[in-house]
Amino acid sequence: MKKPISLLIVLITLGVILYGYRAYNKPHTDVASTEAEETISASAIFQAFDIDDSTAMVKYSDKVISVNGLLLSRDVNNKNEPQIILEGNGYDGFIRCGFKPEYLARLMALQDSTTINLKGICMGMNGSDELDLLADKDVVLSNCTLIE
Amino acid sequence: MVAFTNHSGGIFKTNTGNINFFSHTPVEDITADNHKVKTAFDGTSGKLQFSALIKDFEFPKALMQEHFNENYMESTKFPKATFSGLIENIDAIKTGENGTYTSNVTGKLTIKDVTKEVSAQGTFTVKNGVVNAKTTFVINPEDYNIEIPKTVAGKISKEIKITVDADYRHAH
Repeated sequence: MKKPISLLIVLITLGVILYGYRAYNKPHTDVASTEAEETISASAIFQAFDIDDSTAMVKYSDKVISVNGLLLSRDVNNKNEPQIILEGNGYDGFIRCGFKPEYLARLMALQDSTTINLKGICMGMNGSDELDLLADKDVVLSNCTLIE
Repeated sequence: MVAFTNHSGGIFKTNTGNINFFSHTPVEDITADNHKVKTAFDGTSGKLQFSALIKDFEFPKALMQEHFNENYMESTKFPKATFSGLIENIDAIKTGENGTYTSNVTGKLTIKDVTKEVSAQGTFTVKNGVVNAKTTFVINPEDYNIEIPKTVAGKISKEIKITVDADYRHAH
């Protein structure tokens, strides 16, 4: 009887180690291969955060969402994460979308004032009414991919 | 003829500032980066502000990022870290002339709704109208109600090194 019990203990131990190893090394969400949990316009998601930041955080943050909106500009000053800005609320509120550096050429080829469809992980709304220099608001998406 | 407009004074801003944090222990080094930090300073008064989304700190490992957000920072409830302070000798920083300047920066850092005074020396490098600011300072997670469970206490330093690196441009 001793041998089967020892074997079982060894197998369980190996299983726990393997589970722990896989959990520790699990990859980040691959946005390109993940289906968006929600499709929403840039103005609608901006409005959701602008009206009630706390509720919008619970509903959208950490989720892959698909957003469509008008391209206002590109902000490629930070080589670590080139970004594009979609119109969220006229010239007062924006959707800031960050991409991996390898996307730079594709972002540079986009035409301003055209409708862009993309997917990304929602991080929340940046900017603060309490900081007068940073009162403009951005809903932020990261690890974005363009949807052709 | 000047190479660029002299913008001494006025607001300088970026939405693509970098903040890195680094924790070193004999067991493990932990690092994370945020490349979408919103920050601005007033070239006349020296007022300096930052706002960074906690969830936007990217870790090399997804599990570390999950633990950071869910267990330690409660980032859905407390989504932002902010700083509001002053560049002490702003008059000495000629934002319209190429050069490198140092200044103390002091102000209030808010993380998880806890606000503490922090102070650090910053280096400001002006090059063709872009003002690069770099600074490093250390915070203790316990000061900001960030509770580290005893089971992982050996892996997370009580001295977290924060490094800021931002390129400001004149805001029109």
